[in-house]
Amino acid sequence: MLIDRSHKPWAMASAAMLGMAAAAYVPYALGSVPPSGGSAMGLTYGAVGFVFMALVTLLSVRKKFPIWRIGRTQTWMRGHLWLGTISFPLIVLHAGFAFGHGLTSWLMWLFVVVWTSGLVGAWLQHVVPRRLLRDVPMETIYEQIGHVRGQLVDEADTVVADACGRLEVVTEVAASPEAALGAAGLATVMRPVDPSAEDTGPLREFYVKEMRPFLEKPTRSHLLADPTSAADRFAQLRLLVPPSFAPAIADLESICEEVRQLRRQVTIYRLLHGWLVVHVPLSFALMALAVVHIVMALRF
Amino acid sequence: MSDTVTLTGMINLTIDGREVSVQKGTTIFDAARLNGIQIPTLCHQQNQTPVGVCRVCVVDVGARVYAAACIRECEPGMKVKTTDPGVVRARTTLVEMLMSDHPSPCARQQASGDCELESMARVSGVAEPRFARRLSPRGRDDSSLSIAVDHEACILCDRCIRGCDDVKKNLVIGRSGRGYTAHIGFDLDLPMGSSTCVSCGECMVSCPTGALTNKRVVGSELEGEKLDPDWILQLPVFKGVSGTFLQLNQNSVVRRSFSAGEVICREGEFGSTAFYVLEGTVDVSINTPIAHVQQKDAAGGWFSRIRSTLSDRRTHTRQEESSRRYIPIDAPIDLPYDKPIAQLHAGDLFGEMTCMSFQPRSATVRASTDVVVLEMLRNVLDILQKNKTFRAELDRKYRERALETHLKSVPEFASMPREFVDHLRDRVELQQYSAGDVIVRQGDAADAFYLVRLGFVKVAQHHSGGDVVLSYLGRGSYFGEMGLLEGNVRTATCTAMGHVDLVKMAAADFHVMLSRFPEIRAALEAVARERVEMNRTRLTSAEQVPVADFLNQGLMQAQSLLLLDLEKCTRCDQCVRACADAHDGVTRLVREGLRFDKYLVATSCRSCRDPLCMVGCPVGSIRRRGSMEIIIEDWCVGCGLCVRNCPYGNLNLHPFGDRKKATGCDLCMEHAEPSCVYACPHDAAHRVEPLTFFGGMLRLEQRVGTGSTEATSK
Repeated sequence: MLIDRSHKPWAMASAAMLGMAAAAYVPYALGSVPPSGGSAMGLTYGAVGFVFMALVTLLSVRKKFPIWRIGRTQTWMRGHLWLGTISFPLIVLHAGFAFGHGLTSWLMWLFVVVWTSGLVGAWLQHVVPRRLLRDVPMETIYEQIGHVRGQLVDEADTVVADACGRLEVVTEVAASPEAALGAAGLATVMRPVDPSAEDTGPLREFYVKEMRPFLEKPTRSHLLADPTSAADRFAQLRLLVPPSFAPAIADLESICEEVRQLRRQVTIYRLLHGWLVVHVPLSFALMALAVVHIVMALRF
Repeated sequence: MSDTVTLTGMINLTIDGREVSVQKGTTIFDAARLNGIQIPTLCHQQNQTPVGVCRVCVVDVGARVYAAACIRECEPGMKVKTTDPGVVRARTTLVEMLMSDHPSPCARQQASGDCELESMARVSGVAEPRFARRLSPRGRDDSSLSIAVDHEACILCDRCIRGCDDVKKNLVIGRSGRGYTAHIGFDLDLPMGSSTCVSCGECMVSCPTGALTNKRVVGSELEGEKLDPDWILQLPVFKGVSGTFLQLNQNSVVRRSFSAGEVICREGEFGSTAFYVLEGTVDVSINTPIAHVQQKDAAGGWFSRIRSTLSDRRTHTRQEESSRRYIPIDAPIDLPYDKPIAQLHAGDLFGEMTCMSFQPRSATVRASTDVVVLEMLRNVLDILQKNKTFRAELDRKYRERALETHLKSVPEFASMPREFVDHLRDRVELQQYSAGDVIVRQGDAADAFYLVRLGFVKVAQHHSGGDVVLSYLGRGSYFGEMGLLEGNVRTATCTAMGHVDLVKMAAADFHVMLSRFPEIRAALEAVARERVEMNRTRLTSAEQVPVADFLNQGLMQAQSLLLLDLEKCTRCDQCVRACADAHDGVTRLVREGLRFDKYLVATSCRSCRDPLCMVGCPVGSIRRRGSMEIIIEDWCVGCGLCVRNCPYGNLNLHPFGDRKKATGCDLCMEHAEPSCVYACPHDAAHRVEPLTFFGGMLRLEQRVGTGSTEATSK
């Protein structure tokens, strides 16, 4: 969520709460008894911190029931951000700046990871959507990327077939072991049905050997994955074929660009959502351990 | 031979050296023909009064100039040369000049190879005309369903005019324009389909070229018993229909028999034919359940009750539907809302809109008894509708049986007593319009009130920036009341979207109705006020000058957009999930679409100002609510026409039992806020009125644009 001016009330309230907690901590820390989680003050910090943690964790549950009219999800999200942010300092105050031993230590380190991953996530949500907007104008629905890529391969096949004649897929014995992509030295290759189309050779070869593999599996190391080298390669290709192939090459270049964008989208999308893989499960683990900690601390 | 008139009124003359004797008053053309001498002609036919416009029949009568044989009467002692080299040369030149403007081969030549002009050119040895082709094309007129008009192929011989006016006495065709712009015209130079042409086919059979040809209906092989034109003409409903036309369209009408219980047509299916019941009775019904796609937690149960409480849902009922009493269908009757079934009998016509406008079938028709029907294609239906006998019979039945239910199907007229309906029965006028016909024009005097009986009417208002479409009105809707209520001037232009049948109530009757029934007046005034308010809002929006991109994306047309701020959106799809959750597991929005600035215009109903989705709904189940959202009523038959009509792909078909129903964003009207917006955790989703939302941006861009222009000019 983008933290903008609309967050001012939350920011101020959180700052005030944290300020009050910090202010209260000073006489508490300077008192005769060293700060501890079991003291009245420590328990207060812990209770408030835990309530905040619980509320923050409930966002996941809230999201499971999006149409329940129990407050707009963005309000929950604001709460998640701000209460989550101050919950860690409160717990640190609860622990008296000590990480403890055993379960407590695990709990604190887990909290550090969850809290930090949350901050990283918030930062990513500030930066990445803008990058996605700027770098991927042809963005599509993430789950549809495979399908769209398949369509682009079909489209490219059609462009090449229109220019060079129909292509057929054949399986033949590879000329060299290095060229063998499949088992037993067999390779699947595409070749034109009409072998007489000689001037289409460079385009055909480029498409079959370079571009189509890229379209099917756009790896980062591929020459066409980089816009600059791709532009150079297409410029080179234009020199090798008659000018009448220019529109077909322009189409192929545009298809390549779209595939590059889809690849970029995948990368950025993973970045945008990847941190959740750490943040969400560890949050639940944290809550579980926190409950154990509370039970054990209060009972024993 | 003597050169005087004989006592019996005969005169003697010489044609090509042969002495002939003919009755006084005989034309040279007829005299030659009677004596076996052929004089070529284009504009003359034996059953028509000669006019001598083509001059191809010129002959040398020894005078200073050649004479047109078809109009020049024989004179005693006249020496006529029909094949003199000078005559032949003049004739060839005329043919050559006509051929220079003729689109050779014309439609007739292509179809049957008997274009008279092209045949004559071939005989005269005219291959490539030496003269330049006309620079101003006269165009085509394909507005008639049965006759194609190619003005380019017309040689202005007037044979069609005389066929229409003299032979058939229909007085539809005449000449229009002068010089190079001269052409045949229908009525006051209207398109043929909009004129009073009854499609008798006389002009078509009179035409010597491909200017007027029979329009064959593609795929006109109907399943059923083929009928002999003579047998068809014996049917009272075909009384007065041209035999020529029936001969030319033999496969366009068939007789079909159905046993009791057999289905004649099904709701939602596409078709192209209409049915006329010859014998028996048919049941007309809507079998799709009368219900809409409910929201998921509409079901009962303890958990659902909790959910309903949590989700602050107001109600699932639709207030407007409780006042709905009839469902409009493509037949002379409306179906009762609570029990959508009715019967049609011998002499009833159904499927008119399917046939004329290719709309899906609006209801299922099943033979109640053994039934014999005539199934016909649109060219036959068109000619029947123009047939005065048939029209009069249909109108009589409508007045007797359907007018009352039709009037009462309009909620505002529901309280109208029977005796006033009887009063109106013979006073209302039943009118027909073709596609594009202007029914009333903005600014004209308001002289009548209209009720839509069949088809769709576009209501548009003109303003400084262009025309703004206010609404599309289907069966059961009405217009013209605002002009009559507020100062006697039309406030909008109403145009027929296709074939339209209207019930016209004169201003005097309308005012009598208002004075006698204050509750109708109050209801109409309330609707008028609502319409004025809506129109004002739309015009205010329309008068803001938008930027090109805004226009290109059709955003100007939208009243409500679902926008996703792409700088905030993390593509978490909570909006889509919420929509699906709120709508029985099927989302009504797709997080993809056009982009405007940093916003994604999601694929979700825009509540367009020009709601094309509404055009053509066979049962009128898609409409705009009093607020602005598009709503699909419970009697949707799932034909999918609205889905196809939506230019933005924002409507879809939702599985509904073993059928489907159309659905679109309903803005979650049961809630205070659409679920998609409510569920967005990142404050990225917004439902906005585009001109208000983008107003600042548009004005800013305009200023920037102006500034740069000024800078350039400086």
